[in-house]
Amino acid sequence: MEARFSDYLSGIKSSLKKLIKLLSEDFDYVSVLATDSVGIRVIISQNSKSVSDSNMTTERGVCVRVRRDGLYSECAFNFSPEEDTEALYAGIKQELDAQLELIKLTGTPVYETDILPDEALNLFVEMEAEKLPEYADMDELIEFMTGISNRGMEIIPKVLDTQVSANSTHISKLFMTKNRDLSQSYVYTEGTVVAYAPNDKGEIKLYYGGVSGNGGLEILDGLTGKLEEAPKTMEELLAAGKVVPGEYDIITSPEVTGLIAHEAFGHGVEMDMFVKGRALGAEYIGKRVGSDLVTMHEGALTDESVTSYAFDDEGTLAGDVTEIDKGILKTGICDALSALRLGTVPTGNGKRENYAHKVYTRMTNTVFDSGEDTLEDMIASIKHGYLLKGMESGMEDPKHWGIQCIISRGYEIKDGKLTGNVVSPVIMTGYVPDLLGAVSMATPDRCIYGNGGCGKGHKEWVKVADGGPYLKTKARLG
Amino acid sequence: MSNLLNRIEKLIKEISGLDAFELISETKHGWEFYFIKGKLDQNRVTDEETVTAKLYLKSKEADGKEFLGSASGKLYPTLSDEEIKNKLMDIRYRAGLVKNPYYTLTDIKPDVPAKLSPVDISKVSGDFIRTIKELPANALTDVNSFEVFVSSVTRKTLNSNGVSYECAYPSSVLDLVVNAREKSVADGRGREIELYRILTSGTCDSDNLKETITELFNFGTDRLKAEPTPKTKIDTVILSTQDACELYNYFIMQMNASYKVRKISAYEKDVPIAEGRTGDKISIKALSSLKNSCADYPVDEEGAVIRERYLIENDVPLSFWGSRQFMSYLGEKESGIVRNVSVDGGISGKAELRTGDYIEVVEFSDFQVDPMSGDIVGEIRLGYLHEGDSVKIVTGGSISGSIVDVLPSLKFSSETKQYDTLVIPEVTRMEGMRITGVV
Repeated sequence: MEARFSDYLSGIKSSLKKLIKLLSEDFDYVSVLATDSVGIRVIISQNSKSVSDSNMTTERGVCVRVRRDGLYSECAFNFSPEEDTEALYAGIKQELDAQLELIKLTGTPVYETDILPDEALNLFVEMEAEKLPEYADMDELIEFMTGISNRGMEIIPKVLDTQVSANSTHISKLFMTKNRDLSQSYVYTEGTVVAYAPNDKGEIKLYYGGVSGNGGLEILDGLTGKLEEAPKTMEELLAAGKVVPGEYDIITSPEVTGLIAHEAFGHGVEMDMFVKGRALGAEYIGKRVGSDLVTMHEGALTDESVTSYAFDDEGTLAGDVTEIDKGILKTGICDALSALRLGTVPTGNGKRENYAHKVYTRMTNTVFDSGEDTLEDMIASIKHGYLLKGMESGMEDPKHWGIQCIISRGYEIKDGKLTGNVVSPVIMTGYVPDLLGAVSMATPDRCIYGNGGCGKGHKEWVKVADGGPYLKTKARLG
Repeated sequence: MSNLLNRIEKLIKEISGLDAFELISETKHGWEFYFIKGKLDQNRVTDEETVTAKLYLKSKEADGKEFLGSASGKLYPTLSDEEIKNKLMDIRYRAGLVKNPYYTLTDIKPDVPAKLSPVDISKVSGDFIRTIKELPANALTDVNSFEVFVSSVTRKTLNSNGVSYECAYPSSVLDLVVNAREKSVADGRGREIELYRILTSGTCDSDNLKETITELFNFGTDRLKAEPTPKTKIDTVILSTQDACELYNYFIMQMNASYKVRKISAYEKDVPIAEGRTGDKISIKALSSLKNSCADYPVDEEGAVIRERYLIENDVPLSFWGSRQFMSYLGEKESGIVRNVSVDGGISGKAELRTGDYIEVVEFSDFQVDPMSGDIVGEIRLGYLHEGDSVKIVTGGSISGSIVDVLPSLKFSSETKQYDTLVIPEVTRMEGMRITGVV
């Protein structure tokens, strides 16, 4: 069925139009983003169960962006724009003026930016989803998730608990200016199975499996398959040793490949960082940053995932950018204000954590292209190295092109064969061009993952997805 | 009381069959300023109000075992009375589908006065902006960009047991990037590096902030001189910055009631956390108040008073902390979601800990101590490798280890320092770590 656009947002459109008109008397650019996203969050474990209609992306509010004397300002609120639009207009103006008074007192100059283009555009998009979160059969969902948790307790060795969680949000967003009227509605869903057990030293080891995608609660059906992988993986984790620190030939599973894509040339080419002089990528456009096997795409249209929208939070239509083509860095991704400052075009990557947060350049789907090698040939080609599986976390370093990836486990390869030895956890570090420059093989298959969230530094959490094929390269493991 | 909370409180009385409810109202008024290279990039205002409604239903099975179901929802001011009532009915229905072992909501009325400190967000914002402007920047070190977030938060909790408590407090964030560069960078040659910090607090402590950022400038200057971290047999790591909070957070979480109930924590009351330790004894205290913390309130969001007490004293767990549900499962009468914590200093001064061969890492990409597994990892962005009489400034490579391995000899300084909600020893010494060098 189509994910129906919010009746609430449709209902406040005329008030928002009036607000835009009023503010346009004082400001030379006015836009409004209004959101009404409903969803669920369900967590089932052996020790506790919780159900909420609130998750990371549920929200209802309005963000007004205005420009005057070259300065962009925003006012975000979640009270009604309908009750007294004149008073709302006066309140916005008064508070922004008070802020500017403070800025004047501190003697701070303004970073002047041109007026955003505002060509006429109308768009109304309602994407497909089978089971909408707001109509969830909660009885059935809780029973399904409890079944997975109970089964986990039966089949996973030494398990202390198996926690199953589900998040699903039906997102509705409305973007308006004098000339633009864009509406979109879509649903994303993600589910995870986390099981934990102690090893002989008393250290807790975690198995993690997730499913996600653009769609409704039907996506959670895949959780059953994730549970099937858990017993073997947990056995491996419980017996795991530590890697001897050093540089190794490695094979990254699609999940780990995605983490590299995200941390290396995801964050590395977010062009709001170019504006601040915080990204080395700005100096490498047109230059080699990887081997011929490295081609990378980024964009809400690149794949269907948790972040596949029709337009971003600044009203720019979604795109699909080739960031790296056969090892050559072609371009970055850009929000609308950064694009004005850099004299380039926005790519549909202006995202907010929610209506109350500022826009930054953010990733959507960040994916390495496939190759033609087989995983078996990759393993056979390695004298001593590791096959890395299970993504835990990563950290970007756009200024210096360092990379930190924390990976759940490494499967040792010796003389072209898996030895059965497993190490865990593994910290992979390196210099991004070295890591990508050493990519020598890639498989034809490609997967994309969208569980969890991505921060900018240590805040501004948004949904992203990343992935790619199995890659063979070299990295430092510790 | 807010109009939204008033409306919900009235409407909740019309929902039949409820056994208990809890309402948490939060209003937040914030000012934000974003700067790039000394210029104002953008200014923002936020004004939000939400009420989280949690509804509870009791049930009993044939064997007489009692359960308490609950579900929650977030309510906004733009919802009509009819929409609120429908939402509450949905939440009530969902509560009936959830079965948790029985517990009761907080029923002890707070014996502390409402804390309603007025917050002047304009003044606090101005303090942050002026402090950054007054920093002694020069051609080689300066602030690249910074973001100031200052909020006045008012929170009110009401529950069906008659508990009612309101507090207002300031909450601030400074997101900061500094650069350091070689002299020749102006000619288009030489290197420029950056260091990043996100600093949270109640308001602006100008002196402390200047000290922190000046130290960051010095780290930046050193990073320009850094060599790749060599392979080394050294297994001692010293932490002396905000990153050490991660380590102490592991012990705080082991005393969290939900970790205990979920069997993630093996800590037992009155049983030492490990046998035969040669390091400093660990003592961790929950605080009811901490000056300039971003969470300086004496009553938690469930309406429970946060009592000052030792969670762990001289390596012996004494008191768990956490939400009413999980504290109840541990048989505790009082609960409290602790935010402010102090860790007692050790026996030695920081100079004594900085002896022998060790690496002191002051900048990581992202230092992490997993609160469940105790795994310790971090890529080195700036470290000082002390080996014999030499001190090398190093970058690259990583440290890794586990709490199980470092706990026996873990030592920390007698001097302590506050990082927002945590007071911790200034210097922490961990042995038994692995250091992965680059060359």
